[in-house]
Amino acid sequence: MSFPMIPELLGRLFRKPNTNPFPAAQLPPTVTGLLEKVGKGEARLNPPVPVPAKLRGKMTYNRETCIGCKLCIKVCPAHAIDFIESTKKIRIFVAQCIQCGQCTEVCPKNCLALSEEFLNASHDRYADALVVD
Amino acid sequence: MNASLLLATIVGTLGLALFGIFAGLWFTGIDRVLAARMQARIGPPVRQPFIDLAKLLIKQNVVPANAIPWLFNGAPLLALASAITILLYVPMAALPGLPVLGLQGDLVLVMYLLLIPGLAMVAGGLASGSPYATIGAQREMVTMIAYELPLAATVIAFAWKLAQLGALHPFSLAAVAATPIWTVVGPIGFVGLLLLLATLLLVVPGELGRIPFDAPEAETEIAGGLLVEYSGRNLALFSLSLAVKTIVATALVVALFFPWNFTDFVALGGAPAFAAAANAAFFLLKLLVVLFFSVTLVRISVARFRITQVVDVYWKILGALSLVGLLLVMVDAHVR
Amino acid sequence: MKTIEVKKPSGYATQIGPAHPALKEPVMFTLDIEGERIRRVDFVPGMAHRGIEWMGMRRNCIQVMYLAERICGICGITHAISFVRAVEQIAQIQVPNRAHYIRSIVGELERIHSHLLWAGVAAHELGFDSAFYLAWRVRENVMDLLEYLTGNRVHYAIIQIGGVRRDIVPDQFPRIEESMKFFENAYAQLAAVFLDDTTVRMRCRDCGVLTTDEARELCPVGPTARASGIKKDVRIDHPYAAYADIEMEYQTPDLLTGEVRGDVYDRIVTRLLEVKQSIGIVRQLLAMLPDGPLLAIPKPAVLLAKLKGAAGEAVGRHEAPRGEVMHFVRLEAGKDEPVAWKVKASSYSNYLSWIPMMEGEQIADIPIIAASIDPCISCTDRVALVRPDSRRILTKEELHRLSVEKTRRIQAALAKRENP
Repeated sequence: MSFPMIPELLGRLFRKPNTNPFPAAQLPPTVTGLLEKVGKGEARLNPPVPVPAKLRGKMTYNRETCIGCKLCIKVCPAHAIDFIESTKKIRIFVAQCIQCGQCTEVCPKNCLALSEEFLNASHDRYADALVVD
Repeated sequence: MNASLLLATIVGTLGLALFGIFAGLWFTGIDRVLAARMQARIGPPVRQPFIDLAKLLIKQNVVPANAIPWLFNGAPLLALASAITILLYVPMAALPGLPVLGLQGDLVLVMYLLLIPGLAMVAGGLASGSPYATIGAQREMVTMIAYELPLAATVIAFAWKLAQLGALHPFSLAAVAATPIWTVVGPIGFVGLLLLLATLLLVVPGELGRIPFDAPEAETEIAGGLLVEYSGRNLALFSLSLAVKTIVATALVVALFFPWNFTDFVALGGAPAFAAAANAAFFLLKLLVVLFFSVTLVRISVARFRITQVVDVYWKILGALSLVGLLLVMVDAHVR
Repeated sequence: MKTIEVKKPSGYATQIGPAHPALKEPVMFTLDIEGERIRRVDFVPGMAHRGIEWMGMRRNCIQVMYLAERICGICGITHAISFVRAVEQIAQIQVPNRAHYIRSIVGELERIHSHLLWAGVAAHELGFDSAFYLAWRVRENVMDLLEYLTGNRVHYAIIQIGGVRRDIVPDQFPRIEESMKFFENAYAQLAAVFLDDTTVRMRCRDCGVLTTDEARELCPVGPTARASGIKKDVRIDHPYAAYADIEMEYQTPDLLTGEVRGDVYDRIVTRLLEVKQSIGIVRQLLAMLPDGPLLAIPKPAVLLAKLKGAAGEAVGRHEAPRGEVMHFVRLEAGKDEPVAWKVKASSYSNYLSWIPMMEGEQIADIPIIAASIDPCISCTDRVALVRPDSRRILTKEELHRLSVEKTRRIQAALAKRENP
């Protein structure tokens, strides 16, 4: 009869949990209340686990250098890029983007890049933070 | 029965009901946090079962169209009421007024009463009108039949020993509480009692429907089994009955095997309330230790058994062990 | 001809699914039970159909590659590799050696990831949540490693038609070696928990047996076949990418236990052995990594032009963690989009083994047997039944009559168009 899990379990009782408590260890009574306190500096949010370099996060776009060639739109698998006819520039919808980075490779002017920002959640797909132009 | 005794009984019952519910939910919370820490998780706050209870009470109580309404709604009430009733008989700490109905009950009554919450769950499951609930109810009946053997062997061992020592009412709980069983046996009996303690500690997860004996409620197999159709207030009552059963099952183990009080070891002068508080705290600590070794550690270290394996384990392995323990206790008396 | 014995229904039918805690993805099992014993079982897949091939036929090949990766989360790169292998064959693109090696390395890391995920899920189905958390804690390491190498924990987007998009530079080697050492240490603990634990043995030994003969008849692939003793592995039988440069052995359970019983326990053994094998392969490939370019055609615009002119059809295969994955692609000159794209996921070949495995077992064993073939229903669902309950048998006369009626309708419409 062998129960190899028991020594591991008893040993873990005296060690810190493996979970990174981001943003807080337990659910607060109200989320908005906690966020207000954080804004005022009375409470602290635990940081997330650090991400490696070259993480494929949110898109960044340099409008000045863009020439409106539409190659990025041609290769985007998620149809996340819109072309604005009037200004010959593009608009990227982060909620639709799958962060593959194909557009960054095809752009002849290197005006597209993937940042390391990954905390992009929002209630509104068209919020300003989720539209890159 | 005179009026003051009746009043005392009613007050005691209400008090024990509240104690059973609150302590049961607290212990469930502690069990969850300890299990989480052992699995390298943070776990919920200790008051989580109370939050869950409050949430269940505000949710809609759905009675399936296929169900038998009176049985479906009545089973949770019966489960909770019967679980609280057992608390009235089980000896706890040496506190004034406890056990509330102690003089009127004995081990045999407690063993029968222990069946009722299980039967209520079976009735509720069969009345749910769902095939998963029916399978769960069948499994619960089989589990109850299975763990009766080691439980009965333990009870008989105690009663036999007390009768052999000349007790007038060998099955009475007062006699059991008064005689710490370890002090009246020799080395052979000591080993026998250890075997009986081990089997009883593994009967507790079966009574409470915890892994590895939680086939009736197997979440990944039959989606919650007996309780699959229950929601809202009915499910809240069932979870309360489970919390009270946790206290009952662990209190029974403590009453049988660890009936000492704090004041037996440390003489506490001063107000009797102080001694009572110390005894109560010591009792809760004993309950927690029993809970840890019989429920918490067991439920996270092993996989779930099939129902056929539950019966095999309870009858062949634990049944045999408990009978050997009983035999050793008997042999010990003749040897001394 | 073998007579098929039709068992009489016992009268108590139930079903597991489509939505059930035992199943991570929707599939319906219809059971004929007698108490706890299963007398007959049948299953109905098709509830996770997302129209991926339809979407693929409206996108150019570079876009389809990312779509292919999203057919599955756990075996994402296998679909990408299979698809690009098919396209490379059609367009006759030679992939540089360094790219081959990087593809194989990431593929093996994904195999480690997938088997650890499976181990956790299997433990959860058994009610052994602690082993679930343990296996997934170990899996966090490989996911962090993949994030470090490719930029994302799931959906690595590292494959490109003609090579790979990111390099594995020597600076990254120490981190990879650190992970491999971690996995070796974890392997001992995982093997102890999954193979030596008494309750796991009680549940898995001699449960859900697929004998070698049944396996030969039903043609499962991957660990499901190897656990029943069939020596089948695309990496060894038809070497591709970097697998041709290394020595590999078929991982069958007799390598560890000395015998092949084809039960759930053997499948656990096979997958743990494969994790060990993958650790060895990654180390070997890193040591032998050749220099050279990463892409046959570095500029995506040039690649798109070449693919537009490509014509032909091909099948691309890869040994996914679940078995052989095949992608059939047909390209036509002048079109960006593939004209035909058909995905045969590995679980498609493994599904039918559920039936002999489950019959005769208890209801309690359904979750673990279902999980033991490592089903990836999202990978497999390419067809959805629209009217599954109505069955009609069309006779030759009826078909003829329907065809005549349709011809008359078409003729009438044509006549109307010519004489409005």
